[in-house]
Amino acid sequence: MNSTPIEWASLKELGKGLAKGHFSSAELTQHLLNRVGRHDGAIQSFIHISEHALEQARASDQRRRLRNATLGPLDGIPVALKDNYLTADMPTTAGTTAIGVAFPMEDSACAQRLRAAGCILLGKTRTHEFAWGTISPPVSNPWDIERIPGGSSGGSAVSVAAGFAPLAMGSDTGGSVRIPASFCGTVGLKPTFGRISRVGIVPHSWSLDHPGPLTRTVEDAAIAMNVLAGYDPRDPACQDQAVPDYTASIDRSIRGLRIGVIDNHFMDRNTSDVQAAINASIDALQGSGARIVHFRVPLLAYGLAAIYAIELASSGAYHDRHVTTGVSRGYQKDVRDLVEMGRLISAVDYLKAEQVRTLLCEEFRRIFEQVDVVVTPTEPITAWKKGRETVTIAGENESVLAASWRLTYPFNLTGLPAISVPCGYDKEGMPIGLQIAGRPFDEGTLFRCASAVERLLNLKHRPVLA
Amino acid sequence: MTQDPKPPSQSTALIKALTGTPVGRERLQEVITAYEPILSEIAKLRELDLTEVHPAIIFEPTAVYRSAE
Repeated sequence: MNSTPIEWASLKELGKGLAKGHFSSAELTQHLLNRVGRHDGAIQSFIHISEHALEQARASDQRRRLRNATLGPLDGIPVALKDNYLTADMPTTAGTTAIGVAFPMEDSACAQRLRAAGCILLGKTRTHEFAWGTISPPVSNPWDIERIPGGSSGGSAVSVAAGFAPLAMGSDTGGSVRIPASFCGTVGLKPTFGRISRVGIVPHSWSLDHPGPLTRTVEDAAIAMNVLAGYDPRDPACQDQAVPDYTASIDRSIRGLRIGVIDNHFMDRNTSDVQAAINASIDALQGSGARIVHFRVPLLAYGLAAIYAIELASSGAYHDRHVTTGVSRGYQKDVRDLVEMGRLISAVDYLKAEQVRTLLCEEFRRIFEQVDVVVTPTEPITAWKKGRETVTIAGENESVLAASWRLTYPFNLTGLPAISVPCGYDKEGMPIGLQIAGRPFDEGTLFRCASAVERLLNLKHRPVLA
Repeated sequence: MTQDPKPPSQSTALIKALTGTPVGRERLQEVITAYEPILSEIAKLRELDLTEVHPAIIFEPTAVYRSAE
């Protein structure tokens, strides 16, 4: 074990430390629980801490001692789950306090896979109510507690960024893993639609919802994917595709890698700090032998319309019973507005949105005939101060929702894998993320490119907690 | 721009009937106000002639057999 403090150690370092007996799972779990106890009061990332975590950790230690073997690289490691993943031993609220909403006490598919890999389920992290927003109140950004963490997986990103957990699960319908990853300086992966089972995750929008991991390193995301990816016949969208070892080619050179840059939509309306960090990252990749190819995708002008129509109609249908019975009156105002406007989407507009989606998928297929990945900023801005409803970017006013998912939702509409990796800081020290998207089921190339960014930029800052 | 011939209360009653929304008329007016900027975005879809494009969501009759395995 090197000198990295245990709360900042990577999954790989923790796995090695546990396997060599440098510390036990119980000691690691207790250390992280103590850290949560000391610091989470100010940033509120957890809504529930498992009363069974230490018991699970002790059982894990005993099992490893008796068998003199581990279940794999995640054996004995504490992880956090967004509060829209069902769990058998912890309550699920999906971020709502509305009376009349209840979820079963049973494990989601991801919880089952993590437990089978030997993980300790540390607790549940706060989400924007029903994962329908990018603020995640009352969670604060650990880099500046006056700012929002992003969302909807805000609690998960914060728990990883603050050194409470090395891995936390999020869900991403329009950017909800990548947005908080970018704002909190973590890695966040939205895999290909159908790569990870959605069974037991409270639905938001059936054809847009993607489960995904948040970690502090790209390699950790790859290690997590080796456990999380795989077919589940219970999920109608899950694809029966082989699961490669995602860590296998992570260190491969990017010499000759073809990288696409889409000049409209992604590169034409960002803050100057974000644009500078993205340009520097692209220059660094090019300097390492990658070839840059520029594109324009005019159809992206219809992307916001398409995702609004699909997401509003879908969440309207999912919440219809609660709207009809008056339960939605107990939702937060922003979320209540969004679910109650679902009925206003016409069927024709919804289907035209699905037609636009086909065209976008075709457009990206043509791009991926010429390049291996596409790089973009994850966010056009950095985390904003709490309470703001609009932001000004390049002289134009935009609602915070529209701005915060503008660069991420195209990959929910297309279902393509996309990862956010830290690539710099703005003038106030807030993190900036680089988004890398790829072909369906080619997460391996995303990891290879993101890992190169990590090595080339070698960012070492961490948030300082009060 | 032509003037809406119906007073607002009649308009909301019509929208309620057309959409089947269970929310009350006053609340519906609030929802419509919140929806207006989104509607202006969604209206862009109506400019497009997509007659020859199949929607991305595809019906798969075998899905229920797969999940029952």
